[in-house]
Amino acid sequence: MAKIIFKQPDGESVDIDARNGFTLMEVAVNNGVVGIDGECGGGCSCATCHVYIDANFIDAIDPPTEYETDLLECIVGYTERSRLSCQVKVSDALDGILLTIPSDQGLA
Amino acid sequence: MPELVWTPRNGGHWMATTGRLISHIFADYKRFSSRVLFVPKENGEHHQLPPSTIDPPTHRPYRALITNGLSPRGVAAIEDRIRTMAASLIEDLRPNGRCNFTTDYAEQLPVRIFMNMVDLPMEDAPKIKYWVDQTTRPDGTMNYADAIAALVSYMAPWTEARRGGLGTDLITGIVNGKVGDRALTPKEAAELCAQVLVGGVDTVVNMLSFIMLHFATHPESARELVETPELIGIAVEELLRRFPIISDGREIAGDMEFEGVAMKAGEMIVLPTVLHGLDENENPDPLTVSFHRSTANHSTFGNGAHKCPGAHLARVEIRITLEEWFKRIPVFSVDPAAQITFSCGVVGCVDRLPLIWDPATTSDAA
Ligand code: FES
Repeated sequence: MAKIIFKQPDGESVDIDARNGFTLMEVAVNNGVVGIDGECGGGCSCATCHVYIDANFIDAIDPPTEYETDLLECIVGYTERSRLSCQVKVSDALDGILLTIPSDQGLA
Repeated sequence: MPELVWTPRNGGHWMATTGRLISHIFADYKRFSSRVLFVPKENGEHHQLPPSTIDPPTHRPYRALITNGLSPRGVAAIEDRIRTMAASLIEDLRPNGRCNFTTDYAEQLPVRIFMNMVDLPMEDAPKIKYWVDQTTRPDGTMNYADAIAALVSYMAPWTEARRGGLGTDLITGIVNGKVGDRALTPKEAAELCAQVLVGGVDTVVNMLSFIMLHFATHPESARELVETPELIGIAVEELLRRFPIISDGREIAGDMEFEGVAMKAGEMIVLPTVLHGLDENENPDPLTVSFHRSTANHSTFGNGAHKCPGAHLARVEIRITLEEWFKRIPVFSVDPAAQITFSCGVVGCVDRLPLIWDPATTSDAA
């Protein structure tokens, strides 16, 4: 279990107690978090699940695969803290993580 | 049990037996190709349907075409329709005190919703289902290559008729999509749509039967959801973890040593998704269905680039079914005269599920 805090584009924060095994995108979509569309269902192809990862947690998460990086580099608002939330699974190590959702999703 | 085993059955193939390896191999497209997905390999070779059988990076633009409309936003737009359809199917069965759940409900709801989404005539559903079943659980009445060919040639006139069309159905979306900057060829369009049919008519159908068999044989589990419907969302994930139905595989891309084992290019490896949800290192006490776990570790929808694009639709259909069913028929069991049998294949199923209940304990939920 981990508490995941989503900061929505409207500025509102939503806290969710998420169970291990879900992807962050699934947690967002299942709980109606605004701003993460997850259009391709987690296949790392639509880039509508972009989040900025809390700097303190960068080391707690496996780095993106080359396949994810290829897509990340083409999205609006890409930075070093960008991840596709469908490619990161909830684990105890993420407890308390803040994910900031950009106001624009998708390819640049 | 070792994490990797070799069996001489079904043409000979590897099997991964732990959640760790199953989820890893699904995503490791460089070493484990999707070119062939099913064993025996000579059958799997005939299942050449994009996007499932294309590897990244070529895969990505094809994948994007089929996911429109299956997205959470697309599904939210039809959620009310799903609920109305579920409620009316259950309401029709309720006064009878009995049903064969597989044919009376499980084969009705997802297939009707799906035929609606692709905008194909409902009366074609049985023949589509028959062809799809010949690829997932062949009964010997049709060979594998012919079943795939039948699906593709059924789709071809529909896809071409919708080229340039303005409809909002999945097929119109696919055929008018682009790969890079070119239009899809007629063959590509028909194959993509055939793949969507394969995904749409034989998956949630079977999952729902396993789920209702669980509740019919575990009344305390049903009672928990009747009394605490807020748990249904969590229950859906737990049931997905407990009852995965798909066993597809990958083709070894090149000679290599993997986890201490020598694998050869062209060999097949099967990834039984059930062995991930039931891996006790991933989910303690895995055989027990509990709506109070801290884990939801499973590969029921696969992993990586090919993760099931219909996952959200499946979750919504299961959730709505449980919500509408428990409201109306809270207590039910398996007909004691029935023998419950299962069939296995790429997609497993419950053959028949006769359920009984006392209509006096039901409610019209009005
Ligand atoms: S959901 Fe499509 S890339 Fe993450």
